[in-house]
Formats: sequence, C-alpha cells, structure tokens
Amino acid sequence: MQSHTKDFRQGAGAALSDPKIQANLEGLYNGFHQARIDASDQTPDWEALQDKGRAIKAHTLDNLAYYLEMVERNVIASGGHIYFARDAEAASNYVVNLAKERGIELVIKGKSMVSEEMALNHRLEEEGIEPVETDLGEYIVQLAEETPFHIIAPAIHKSRGEVSELFVEKLNVPLYDNIEDLTREARDQLRQKFVDAGMGITGANFIVAETGTVTLVTNEGNGRMCTSMPKIHVAITGMEKVVPSIEDLGLFLRLLIRSATGQRISSYVTTVTGPRGEDEVDGPEEFHLVIVDNGRSKMLADPNLREALYCLRCGACLNACPVYRKVGGHAYGWVYPGPIGAIVSPMLTNLSEAKDLPFASTLCGACKEACPVKINIPRMLLYLRKELTQGETYPEHKSVSMAESTAVKGWRASVSSSFMMRLSNLGGRLLQLPFVRGGRIDRLPSPLSGWTKHRKFPAIASKPFRTRWKNIGKK
Amino acid sequence: MTERNEFFNTIRQALGPQTEAPNLTGTGSSALGDNSDAVSARSQAIQAYIDEQSGPLMDSLSESATGAGWKVARFDDLDKAGDHIVGIVRDVEANLVVRSRQDVLESGIVEAWLASLGVDVVPMALGEHSEHTVDELRSLAERADIGITGVDYAIAETGSCVLIPSAQVSRLVSLLPPIHIAIVQRGQVLPTLDELFTIRRRDFLDGNLGSYMNLISGPSRSADIEYTLVTGVHGPGEVHMILVG
Repeated sequence: MQSHTKDFRQGAGAALSDPKIQANLEGLYNGFHQARIDASDQTPDWEALQDKGRAIKAHTLDNLAYYLEMVERNVIASGGHIYFARDAEAASNYVVNLAKERGIELVIKGKSMVSEEMALNHRLEEEGIEPVETDLGEYIVQLAEETPFHIIAPAIHKSRGEVSELFVEKLNVPLYDNIEDLTREARDQLRQKFVDAGMGITGANFIVAETGTVTLVTNEGNGRMCTSMPKIHVAITGMEKVVPSIEDLGLFLRLLIRSATGQRISSYVTTVTGPRGEDEVDGPEEFHLVIVDNGRSKMLADPNLREALYCLRCGACLNACPVYRKVGGHAYGWVYPGPIGAIVSPMLTNLSEAKDLPFASTLCGACKEACPVKINIPRMLLYLRKELTQGETYPEHKSVSMAESTAVKGWRASVSSSFMMRLSNLGGRLLQLPFVRGGRIDRLPSPLSGWTKHRKFPAIASKPFRTRWKNIGKK
Repeated sequence: MTERNEFFNTIRQALGPQTEAPNLTGTGSSALGDNSDAVSARSQAIQAYIDEQSGPLMDSLSESATGAGWKVARFDDLDKAGDHIVGIVRDVEANLVVRSRQDVLESGIVEAWLASLGVDVVPMALGEHSEHTVDELRSLAERADIGITGVDYAIAETGSCVLIPSAQVSRLVSLLPPIHIAIVQRGQVLPTLDELFTIRRRDFLDGNLGSYMNLISGPSRSADIEYTLVTGVHGPGEVHMILVG
C-alpha cells in the first residue's frame, strides 16, 4: 500500500473539521472501549493472563527462527505449502502467480491487514483477477475505494446514510434506510461470490508452531466461508503471529477477543491445519501459508522496538487513544493507525517520511494500559522521537535541520553556566527590542514565526528574576 | 542462496547469537517440552472431570450459551428434543433440512422426526453414504432452510459448540443455511477453552488433529456499520442449542 504518512497533519486536520467523522469516532469510544474495560474487569486474574501472554510472546520472538522452522515442518507435514516472503512484493508475486497458474478469475478475501501492506487487491486487478473483500466493513471500504479506518472496524467512519448511497451507486440497488437491509444486501451480493470463487484468501490471528495450524477469529462467518467454499485457501500473515503450542490458544483468544470487542469469544474461531483430509466431506484441496517479513526483522533486530511485534492487532490502543479518537485512522496514512501504528507504520515504511507519527501522542499512557500484552508504546514513541532528532541507531532518518540542531546546541550552551545564562539573557533583551509591543512579542520573523503564529509571548523582563530576588532579600 | 534461507538468515541476524533449541521452561507457555505421557495424563483427568461434573457443566453452558446469543432449550431425552426441533422446523416452514452424520443423528432420528412434515432431510456425506456428488451436496446446503448437527464438544466458559469436520461432519451444514440447530449431549461439555486445546493437543500427538475445527458461539454477527449489532451476515442468523440429558 502506498504510504501517505507524511501527510499526517493534513489528514488530521481534515478529520478534525468533519463533524460526521467526529460523531462516528465518539461511538467507537463508548462502544469498543467501554466493552473492553468491562470484559477485562469480569475476567478473573486478567493481569496474570496479560503477563503470561507477554512472556510467551517475548519467548517466541526471541526464538523466532526456531519457531518458524517448526511452523514450516508442520505445515508441510499436514499437506500444506508454505512460502516465506522477504517483502510485500515477493508475497504478492507468490499469490498472483499461484492464482494465474490455477486459472483463478475470482478471489474472495477475509480480513487481512498484511494483504493491505501488499496492496494485493491492486496487484490481482492488474492481472485481471477480481478480488472481493467479504468482511462487511472491508466490503464497504472496497466499494468506496478507500482504505480501512480501524483495524477491526474498517468502515466505522461511515454512517448508514453514506453506506446506503454507496450501495445505490455501486450495486444498483434501492436506497435502504436501515442497517439490517444493508447487511442483507451485502450478504446476498457476496453469497454468489463465495460460490463462484476459485481461491479464498485470509489473514491469520495466530499460527501454532507445534501443529502448523492457522487460527482465524471472526464474527460474520466470512472467514469460515473463505476456508470452506473455494478449492484453494491461502493464508497470509506477518511472521510475528507465531505461538508455540496449540495449548497457548485459550490464553491468546481470551486476550485478543476481550480486548478487541469485549466479547467473551467471537462468534467463530476457526483453526485450519492443511487442506481437507481425504475422507472429509468438503473443504479446500490446497492450503498455502504465506509468512511475511516486510520490514518486521528491523523491529526484531532493535531491542528497543522488538516488543512492538508482540501486538495481537486487537485495536484496543486505538480506541483508548485521545489522539486517534479525534483524528481517526486515515490520518496515519498507512495500514496500521493509532498508537501502535505510530511505531509499526514508520518502521515498515520510511521513518523519515512518517516523522509526525511518533509525535502524534500525548504520552498519556492510555495505550499501554489498554494493551492485552502490556506493550510499552509510550516508551517506543519517545525512542523514535529521539531517533528522529539524534539518529543514534538510524542516522539516515535523523530529520532535524542543521539550523535547528545548531539552535538547540546554542540553547544548551546558553544555560550551561550562570555566566552564559546572564550573557544570553542580556543578548535576548537586546535582540527582542524591535519586536516588543506593550510588553509582549506578537510576531517573530522566520524561522521563528511558527512560535508566534497562534500565541503571543511575554517579552523577556528588563530585570531578571535573579536580580529582583536579590533586591527582595535586601528589603 | 534460496529465498527461504535468505529469509531465515535475516531473522537470525536480527536475533543475534542464540542457542538453537530454546529453553522452554519458565516462559509460562504450556511447555512444548511436555512429553506425550504428560499430555495424556492431563487429557484423561479432563475426561474424568467432565464425566463427573456433567450436570453442573450443562447448567453453566446453558447460561453462557444464552448470553452468546443461542436459543437454548434443555430436555431429558432425545425424543423430547425431537418434538422441540419439529416445532422449530414447522414455525419457519422449512422445506429442506441438511444434517451432519454424527452418531447422535445417524439412526435416522431426524428423518423420523420430520417425516410427518414432509420435509426433505439430506445427510451431508460422500461416496457410498450418499446418492449426491460434492457439487450437488453444496447446492443442497445452499438451498437448505436449516442445518442440524451434533457437536464434538461444547464449552461452558464461552457458550461455544465445537465442530470438527470429518467424513461425518461437513463444514457447510452449520454455515450455509440461515438456521443452525446443534444438539449437545451430557458429557460433551468442557469447562473452558484450555481443556479443549489440551484434548486437541492429545489428538495431534495421536495423529488425529484433522484439518479443521470451528468453535461456534452464537449467531453470525457484525457491528461494522455505526457500531450497531446485526445478526445473520454470512453465517446463520438464528442458532439453537439443544441440550440433551
């Protein structure tokens, strides 16, 4: 997917001035956010579960090569195929070539964030293969030719009226004014696609190393359709989704689902281990698992960022974040929005271009508190801010101008001793003279004009506080 | 170097020097290091527990399943459950019912229940067990008004039915028709997800994991438009859990 991370300010401004988006974001907070809090409150020993989940994630990522080889052995043993893709392009090529080789014309898709990274739909269309999103939210977003607004509620920015108009325009159906009718229409439209499609593509919420099993969590049933109807099932997922044992699934399903929607469990949890068995009544004849790096190894290599890979993609940090709740998902400019997106998107695309994202946070810590595996998001945001200004680990992404770093160095020198402080104070008093009006500075020349654009500064006092304090003492 | 080796080299470089076989103790994980005997022992203990506690587990399932959106009904025996199912079929004026072939449904019991209503009942099976081809079965499942299944397990914690597809169990019976009726028998109810996955691990070690498993917990639903809950998106919008015993 093309990255627009550098347009964060514009995107945020647009969302802030759109009352419809603001109203829909409000619903998200009252809905998902409160449901998550209630669900974790009602789960006995929630915090112990979080700690255990975190420990397992840390262990698995610290030994990722070992577990991925285990996945490989077991997928093959179950009769499936596995492909390790270095980047988005390699992953797309694999899927597109497979579809072409098998003569596939129609592909149905369950929700997969990694396929958004790959811009897979675009690639399939280029080859004359029709991709159809089947998650209701993703279907709406695809019809509208937009990108998902939220990890688990992709079309939450659209009102029912907008969806109705979209359906009229794209599907040539009557104008429906209620959500039940809209949903039924989508069901009818998609049912035939499920029947006709030659390939089903899904993501994976977890990959079990021990058994080579892919686990899907859905509420609508489209994940089941994609893994039951077509002859070929392809699951595409990031390499961080591995858990060691099938016995870890109970824990991770609790952590993920309760944090995502507040449900005790989603309507459907589906596990797929290879293609259908020989004597099975139905199911795909071929199973392919595509495991994607696409920049994740950069985060794996950096001890300061490795924990970003613990993410279960539940979306809880988005709902909790006071910034996401105002600017919404599109402003972040790439696949992953919100607090975790402000770390993952820059690292998987280009940190310099995404330099506004780590700063789009108040560091209030709500994200860390909401996270089911206690990812310390604020710490990593601060780390990326430091990298952008000092560039110790990623010097190529240091994005501070020579003038600005000279200015900061000058500032540091000016407060390094009482002599320097007095000297700079005197200098400041002289330099400000042309700009002071009635004890205030209204406007500074470029490059300092940004500071005075929205506020007035008090002028530097003619007598420093130190001097006044001395005089007070004498009295 | 092959693509695959290059992929793994990148990961190994990212991880830095480490031992190839990780120490599994102390991770909090359910210890892959467990030997097969330990898993068997745990699995047997679970079986003993669910037999002994079958009554309370049914009570607890009834409550959680209702919470998850199932229409739950409980009967002492299959005959009484049959009367209830006939009522559901009559109410929705169903013409075609598909069913899976778990033991509980294999005695022709569904056909006997529905004979008086003149409803067609098609068991989803292949080869010698069926007069239909795969494609015919699929279009029958698409046209069916109701799908009836047994279950492999149910889970009291979450109100879930567990269905493991096989020669007896089609993936489609509980998926394509707008109404799903699942029959849960006493002794099939597990306390939590954890017991299910321990048993499934035992199955895996025995070579019986199978290719697929569904945990079904209520109707198909979505809140993708305006955070408003609707049921019956792609899967069944109406689901009945019939507890027997």
